[in-house]
Amino acid sequence: MIDRLHLRELDWVSTGLMLLNTAVGVVLIASATHFLGGGFVWKQLLWMAVAVPVFFLVVAVDYKFWVEISPYLYGLSFLVLVALLVFGRETSGARSWLHLAFIGGQPSELAKIAILLILARLFSEYRASFANVSFGLSAVFLAGLPMIAVALQPDIGTAACFLPLPAGALLLAGLDRRTIAFILIAALAGGFLGWNVFLKDYQKKRLETLFNPSQDPLGAGYHVLQSKIAVGSGGIDGKGFQKGTQSRLRFLPARHTDFIFAVLGEEFGFAGVLAVFALYFLLLARMFRSVGKSRDRTGAYITFMASSLLSFQFFVNVLMIVGLLPITGVPIPLLSYGGSSLLTSYVAVGLVVNVRMRRFAYV
Amino acid sequence: MEDSPIYEDLSLIRKRAVWVFRLVGLLFLGAAFIYWKIQVLDHRKYFALSEANRTRESVISSPRGILTDRSGAVVLGDNQASFKVSFIRENAVDFEASIRATAALLEIEDSVLRQRIESYKFLPAFRPVIVKDKLTLEEVSRIEGRRTEFPELVIETEPRRQYPFGPLAAHVLGTMQEVTAEEMRSRPGQRRLGDWVGKTGVEAAYETRLAGVDGTLIEVVDSLGRVREELRRIEPRPRPKLVLTIDYDLQTEAEQLLAGREGAIVALDPRNGEVLVLASSPTYDPNRFINRFTPGEWQSLIASSDNPLLNRAIQGLYSPGSIFKPIMALAGLDAGTIGPQTAFFCGGSALFYDRPFRCWAEAGHGSQTLVEAIKNSCNIYFYNFGSRLSIDTIARYAEMFGLGRATEIEIPGEKAGLVPTSAWKKETLKAPWYPGETISVAIGQGPLQMTPLQIAAATAALAGRGRRIRPHFSLEAAREPPSSGALETVALKDFETVIEGMWRSVNDGGTGRGALVAGFDVCGKTGSTQTIGRAAAERLAATGKTVRTHSWFTGFAPRNEPRIVVTVLVEHGGLGGATAAPLAGRIFGLFKDKYDR
Repeated sequence: MIDRLHLRELDWVSTGLMLLNTAVGVVLIASATHFLGGGFVWKQLLWMAVAVPVFFLVVAVDYKFWVEISPYLYGLSFLVLVALLVFGRETSGARSWLHLAFIGGQPSELAKIAILLILARLFSEYRASFANVSFGLSAVFLAGLPMIAVALQPDIGTAACFLPLPAGALLLAGLDRRTIAFILIAALAGGFLGWNVFLKDYQKKRLETLFNPSQDPLGAGYHVLQSKIAVGSGGIDGKGFQKGTQSRLRFLPARHTDFIFAVLGEEFGFAGVLAVFALYFLLLARMFRSVGKSRDRTGAYITFMASSLLSFQFFVNVLMIVGLLPITGVPIPLLSYGGSSLLTSYVAVGLVVNVRMRRFAYV
Repeated sequence: MEDSPIYEDLSLIRKRAVWVFRLVGLLFLGAAFIYWKIQVLDHRKYFALSEANRTRESVISSPRGILTDRSGAVVLGDNQASFKVSFIRENAVDFEASIRATAALLEIEDSVLRQRIESYKFLPAFRPVIVKDKLTLEEVSRIEGRRTEFPELVIETEPRRQYPFGPLAAHVLGTMQEVTAEEMRSRPGQRRLGDWVGKTGVEAAYETRLAGVDGTLIEVVDSLGRVREELRRIEPRPRPKLVLTIDYDLQTEAEQLLAGREGAIVALDPRNGEVLVLASSPTYDPNRFINRFTPGEWQSLIASSDNPLLNRAIQGLYSPGSIFKPIMALAGLDAGTIGPQTAFFCGGSALFYDRPFRCWAEAGHGSQTLVEAIKNSCNIYFYNFGSRLSIDTIARYAEMFGLGRATEIEIPGEKAGLVPTSAWKKETLKAPWYPGETISVAIGQGPLQMTPLQIAAATAALAGRGRRIRPHFSLEAAREPPSSGALETVALKDFETVIEGMWRSVNDGGTGRGALVAGFDVCGKTGSTQTIGRAAAERLAATGKTVRTHSWFTGFAPRNEPRIVVTVLVEHGGLGGATAAPLAGRIFGLFKDKYDR
């Protein structure tokens, strides 16, 4: 399974950056929740204590094995998502939480990993220079099924976060003009249908106020405006740890989860934002570079999709904070409070480290 | 290009990955630019916004639904604007110093203030905790005048329940109390700090019907808590008034009649169960309950020996005595033990089971028919046929009239009373029922226990010739029927014989003559019940002291198509005919004057 040669190749840089980012997250959670009860800091540390062993387990077992069992993982997570739709209890308006005996979690987060692995399995056999339509359709279908299940919860934001997986895989496989045209048409049709059939009124409103937040300062535009005020009032050096008035005066919703970056902006200013950007950039750069280090297609696809996944969520969140994207309820990987999200991020980084570690064939 | 079996050719893939990574790098630059624009270039604008932007959300409490009497015009419970001051923990710079300064400003004890605030520690720090209410205008201006020194204090108005007639119908209306910290914790989100909730009476029974939907006010306040702008106001939605069945004039009269006594008066409409009067004495002023900070006042009410908080009409359990006789008579007639013409001789006392039993009239009533026995409330007559009925048969008839069971009136706390059976005795006292005990039950003594309201409801069934009603306080048609379903009609023969006896009791010089109202055909029955055993009473009498009996009257009027039932109980009032019957007569009289024009 693992030997000393592998251990020598373990990517301590990625691992270290991942842990460092989590630590930054804990500091921000501490600041965002210091005036509330609930012990969010301790819970997050507890989740970290769970995620680290999981990370090493993911790294220890050859990624070929994970790819091998991916159909089962995929089937299982899809079943859980469907079961949630049927039997789930609503938590803040969506049936996205699985309540097991002691812990609750969002299965949609871990479904991302299953999709990632099964797409890697699909594309590992694909050797042409460009993806053809049937391959593209398979990828869209595989990612689309669980995506629809999540979108029906209804949790459009999380569903949207599945996009970078098939999109990344197809990008890597190469897209010719015909495929691009096909995808564009499909996207337009889907968008039209989604707007008219699937989107709930509040979601439409969010999209509308995205373009004009002040039209409804206390309704859907309220959070965008308040979040922007939080970030903007931070200035260059911020108001200081636990000194943010925006978050303290409860203008920020979900300040320890989706809006944690606004807390960063307000309390640590532009300097803090740049520092976290830098940390995140280093981690993503390292992950993207691992694509080139992969031994085979499977590894390359895994690494690329994992990197795309984290990048996508990072930017969706960071741009949502300043009102450039709609508020979707997407946490920022590694920084936001939340066990499922943290676990998924650790597994994603773990897979990348896994692939990089086994880049040499010891034959 | 051929793939090697070990290292696949990934050059194309690598190239594409590098492209995407460059895109990600560009996104980082773009995002950094956007944050730079917002945080550095537009910093002043957003900083100013964040300073001005301290919106404050407050609750506009909804007034409670108004309570009126049955005319809809006399307001029994309404609302009055009142000032209260709250403490916001989060705004206190130095908590300890702030407690001291606030206590001095509001003229309350440090420790009281601290305890009050700390008992709501489980709430977020920005939630205001009410620390003093019923502020005078002078207090309001004093606090407002030092606004800038006390950013942690906020003055709000609240509508406060007020009962214009003070103690009038207090036992019907009930009491209100501030929601407790425990209630808030057990049902989060439903109750807010400082909310008033009905605890007893109509206020509790119709809590959801009366409590309006609170409104919200969102204002922009500056760092000192001064209001700069009102952003949004959602007006509270109070509920429409609740019209009660209570008749203001009759209720007032009943309470005046009971003043200085301990007892209860119930009057209801036998056609539909509407309660016209429900008075219990002594009483209290429910306005005094609406008080957050001086619990001492109602502690003294609770501790008071004459127990003003006890609603004697629904919670007081009394032996019915002779007012049970009409029910007994109906049982005897229906069971065939007696007929309308059956007569017994009363010589003042008689032997049953080798023991002497006495009639209340020592000289005796002579030969009596049933009608005469009811008119004169002759015990010997009832001993004679009662001894031929089993206790379980008597209980069956009593239960037909709803005795021994709560009437399911809306207000909480009603007692069920007791109609003994042989099974009951075996279970609770582990002893068999003795026939000698049945004889006591035949004249309404023994273990029988009833509330005045139960007696009134049973009398209504009698007046309605078997049609039972459920007493209630709301005139609204849409009242949910109790879970037990519809009431069964009492199908008995010879109601008229018993009613004839009750009519003669009032109109033909019987024990109930005190309740006579000219031209109103009142039918009634008196009762006088011993509150201590006969032996004890005789011992007391020997020392020259007497313990007066409880005084009962129950009846209805007019004889045909009755429209009102009145039940009166006066504790230690002496003979029913002497005390309770005249009180009932006043109620009947007033009713006739008011409604028979």
